[in-house]
Amino acid sequence: MMNRRTLVLIVALVAVMAMLAGLSDRVTAQGKVVKIGLSLPLTGADADGSDAVLKGSQMAIAEVNAKGGAAGYKLEAVVFDSATPAAGQYDPAQAATNYKKFVADTLVLVAVGPIMSGEGKAISPILSEADMATITPSSTNPDITDPKFQAQYRPKGKAVYFRTVTTDAYQGPNMANYLFHSQKIKSVYVLDDGGAFGVGIADSFQKRAGELGVKLLGRDRLDPKEADYKTILTKIKGLSPDALYYGGVMQAAAKLAPQSYEVIPKVIKAGSDGVYDLSWPKQSGKEAVDGWFCSQASPELVTSPKVEAWVTKFKSTMKRDPTNYAITAYNAVLVIADAVERTAAGGKPPTRTSLRDAIQATKLSSIQGPIAFDANGDILTRTVSIYQWRDGEIKYVSVAPEK
Amino acid sequence: MSLLDVLLQQVVNGLALGMMYALLALGFTMVYGIIELINFSHFSVFMTGTFVGLMVLNLMGVTAVSKSLTGLVLVGTLVALFMATMLITGVLGVLIERVCLRSLRNVSGTAPMITTIGVAFILINTMLLAWGPQTQRFPQLLPNWRWSLGAAEVTFKQVLLFVVGLILMLALSHLVKRTTLGKAMRATAQDADAARMMGIDVDRVVVLTFFLGSALAGAGSLFFGLYYGFTAYYIGYTTGLRAFTSAVLGGIGSIPGAVLGGLCIGLTQSLGGQLLGVKWTDVIIFSILIVTMVFRPNGLLGTRLPQKA
Repeated sequence: MMNRRTLVLIVALVAVMAMLAGLSDRVTAQGKVVKIGLSLPLTGADADGSDAVLKGSQMAIAEVNAKGGAAGYKLEAVVFDSATPAAGQYDPAQAATNYKKFVADTLVLVAVGPIMSGEGKAISPILSEADMATITPSSTNPDITDPKFQAQYRPKGKAVYFRTVTTDAYQGPNMANYLFHSQKIKSVYVLDDGGAFGVGIADSFQKRAGELGVKLLGRDRLDPKEADYKTILTKIKGLSPDALYYGGVMQAAAKLAPQSYEVIPKVIKAGSDGVYDLSWPKQSGKEAVDGWFCSQASPELVTSPKVEAWVTKFKSTMKRDPTNYAITAYNAVLVIADAVERTAAGGKPPTRTSLRDAIQATKLSSIQGPIAFDANGDILTRTVSIYQWRDGEIKYVSVAPEK
Repeated sequence: MSLLDVLLQQVVNGLALGMMYALLALGFTMVYGIIELINFSHFSVFMTGTFVGLMVLNLMGVTAVSKSLTGLVLVGTLVALFMATMLITGVLGVLIERVCLRSLRNVSGTAPMITTIGVAFILINTMLLAWGPQTQRFPQLLPNWRWSLGAAEVTFKQVLLFVVGLILMLALSHLVKRTTLGKAMRATAQDADAARMMGIDVDRVVVLTFFLGSALAGAGSLFFGLYYGFTAYYIGYTTGLRAFTSAVLGGIGSIPGAVLGGLCIGLTQSLGGQLLGVKWTDVIIFSILIVTMVFRPNGLLGTRLPQKA
């Protein structure tokens, strides 16, 4: 009796599920949809920054769809988490898995992301094989788009990795320029977190600092899972540098800030966009974070008067504070919508290849300024902005000097 | 600071760090001494202890943004914190023994050890699900007193850590050498069957061993939280493997050996970081593990081999 009842229940459930599945199939078949793949480290140490990027993209998708879509095509986000519990932060292998899923889904024509350069290095070759474009709102390692490394990151030749931010070829060196000209530093100690992004930006900072005549007192690498940074900080204290530069993201930074506050409170400390993370004071303590400089590979947008209306709308619909990379992610989706419109204007349904070509030819004016890409996919506007943590908040300081 | 001052500072840092490893190595070495089990879940109990401490503090109304306490309030809070946390981690250790290990007690080979690795993963992932992967701040209860030694300085936290670590080691050593329970422990270690025939309740001895070892891990975890001011689900792994190396270096099963090994590893880490760079830390520490295993498998103080026939 019991068994039969269970059986009936299962049959009924299966029938309902089959009906629902059939229903959704018919909807996609009739409607015109372009799916956008979003693979972001939504959990882990960098969850807050990723959440802002996700919400920025979602806001743009909602706006485009509210206007009836791009040339009648509805945009639809497919969201995957690229952080793993084992890593406790972004995981390049997981990002690669996610992008392979995007490529396997024939309706996914284009992607937004990744957040991290370490992910970017893993996924760029996959995109190149599939001839599918992605637009990153935040990953800045220059190697990925550098033609020098074409064989490695885009074996098929065409640019597939577009950016609405500039690269660390500017972000690292321009921070060095700022610290040299405005903070008058004469010596520096450089740390990185061993990630692709962290090592790359620390290298480019170090190189520029050397050109400016800033004395390099040492370079070392933090293990992001290590608890004790007092050893290296004591060593740094003994060398008494004017500044400490940290290239890396939040997992190590969460511990570096409180321990450096204890050991070397007076040294000028600077990081990159890896520590432009609104949850930092919560993770490390307000007083420990205060004074740290950080940067963005974009113009300052959040406090710009042109973006005020956007910020108000974002706060009310997304229930959180925006970041600059929420805006560059928003614009990444607008670039895609624009590309879909231009492709569809020719009368043909968009494909991965035609969308890639259309994105390459983008000339869009946006709330972050004009967006156009060079042949490698890098944005032509190369502004880097400097910020400082003050009283638990990120305050905009200035545009970083280019020389 | 001159190089000499920096080196002195690194020695102070290294001793504090080493005592933390020692606290972990003690519980680890004790369990090995009694039932010859390499208990890898010990480090996850340590990690869980930091979160238990965090919860106990939150229940007492102390959060990460609270100011450091002073006077009797501080002492009262600390005593309550240590007692509650050590009790809970102790019970956790007993539970692990009762549920996962007792039925494997007489199984030869690596099955019990592999079980402890499984338990470690269960604890790690439970904490990950419960607290998320972000770094959690640990309330800074202790006052920031510092004393200078030339240009180097010693903090109150370091002194407290060192003194309490030494006291716990002496107490444990006294317990094992001079009390009836200690005698029962040593008897069980030598020959569990013979001990049982002499009327010793072997199960009780093993349970007490697990309780004490895990309570020590609880104490270690509180020092970790108070000293570094944070916790995260992954801290047991790195810290634990170094504590394991400490126990092996000191002579696994030996209580003074665990402390000596811990101090050696702590000093190696801080002086190695100073002289070679912190990116070499793990290379140096695990090279020590291998060298010890090859040339002195009984460790610095472990002179006797396991006495089982």
